[in-house]
Amino acid sequence: MSSSTHILIAVLASGAFFLIVRLVRFKVLKAKYSILWLTVGSSLAVISAVPQVLDWTAEKLGIWYQPTLFLLLAIGFLLLLAMHFSYELSRMENRVRVLVEEISLLKERIEKEE
Amino acid sequence: METAAIIPAFNEAESLPSVINEIKELFPDHLIVVVDDGSTDETADIAKKFDCVCLSMPFNLGIGGALRLGFRYCLDREIDCAYQFDADGQHDSTQISLLLSELEHSDMVIGSRFSADHPYEVGQSRKAAMNILRFLVRIYTGQKFTDTSSGFRAFTRPVIKLFAKEYPVEYMDSVEALLIASKNGFKISEIPVQMRERSAGQASNRNFRLIYYFLRLLIVLLAGIRKKEKD
Repeated sequence: MSSSTHILIAVLASGAFFLIVRLVRFKVLKAKYSILWLTVGSSLAVISAVPQVLDWTAEKLGIWYQPTLFLLLAIGFLLLLAMHFSYELSRMENRVRVLVEEISLLKERIEKEE
Repeated sequence: METAAIIPAFNEAESLPSVINEIKELFPDHLIVVVDDGSTDETADIAKKFDCVCLSMPFNLGIGGALRLGFRYCLDREIDCAYQFDADGQHDSTQISLLLSELEHSDMVIGSRFSADHPYEVGQSRKAAMNILRFLVRIYTGQKFTDTSSGFRAFTRPVIKLFAKEYPVEYMDSVEALLIASKNGFKISEIPVQMRERSAGQASNRNFRLIYYFLRLLIVLLAGIRKKEKD
């Protein structure tokens, strides 16, 4: 890995870290997600600090071009995340529906009593 | 025995009064439950003016969501049987008694547009889609239905209880509901009824949307069949 890539990753990692901590502090991001993103941030930090980790793992896995491993991991992670969000979204949608039903039933009952 | 009419309505202010009047005239003892599916016109006001139950949803959830709320209300009110009736004037109130009398022999009755004396005309692409659905439903349920997407149906209390929780909330709900009821072991029958052309409003089906929902339904069907093989 060249030194300019090195610097780029370092900048990205620290930026991400700073942003996550800020979001958690202002309670924009739930703690549950902050752990997730902090893990991403710290792995980025490790890779930028010791790029040899990536090279070594790639070699062990038989990947000749090291950045491929990085991209592979990133894409895999994003896919998992997207799936998780789809799941959460479905659950939320269902809950909203039930809430709408409850509200409509309650509204009808109140209007009847008035 | 208390009977309820569930009328899901989305911006049907124009046709709703005559629909309610027709039912009230023929069946004064039926409880009319209008589910206002987040309408932006006077649908809710009209329903309230007519002295029937009006459940107003804060935003549009689609016909499936509206029906599910209707079933839930009927369950809470301990209604014995309920029927689903369109607010657009497509359904003929004189046919309600046909559905209800058939309900004595089964748990759920579907009023079919087809095979009646006056055939109901549909477009070519819809006809093709309906044929595929009919075929798949036949494989899945082992029963022959001529009109799987008919929205003119009657239900007994056990089915109301099931649908209050499990009614499919996406478009093309009627086919999926049929499958759910069948999977839960309910006896479903179909009788020919007469229907009218829509008296007001606009049909909610646009072709590209229809294709999307059709594909979604196919996936549901395939997933359902696999699940059935397992248990």
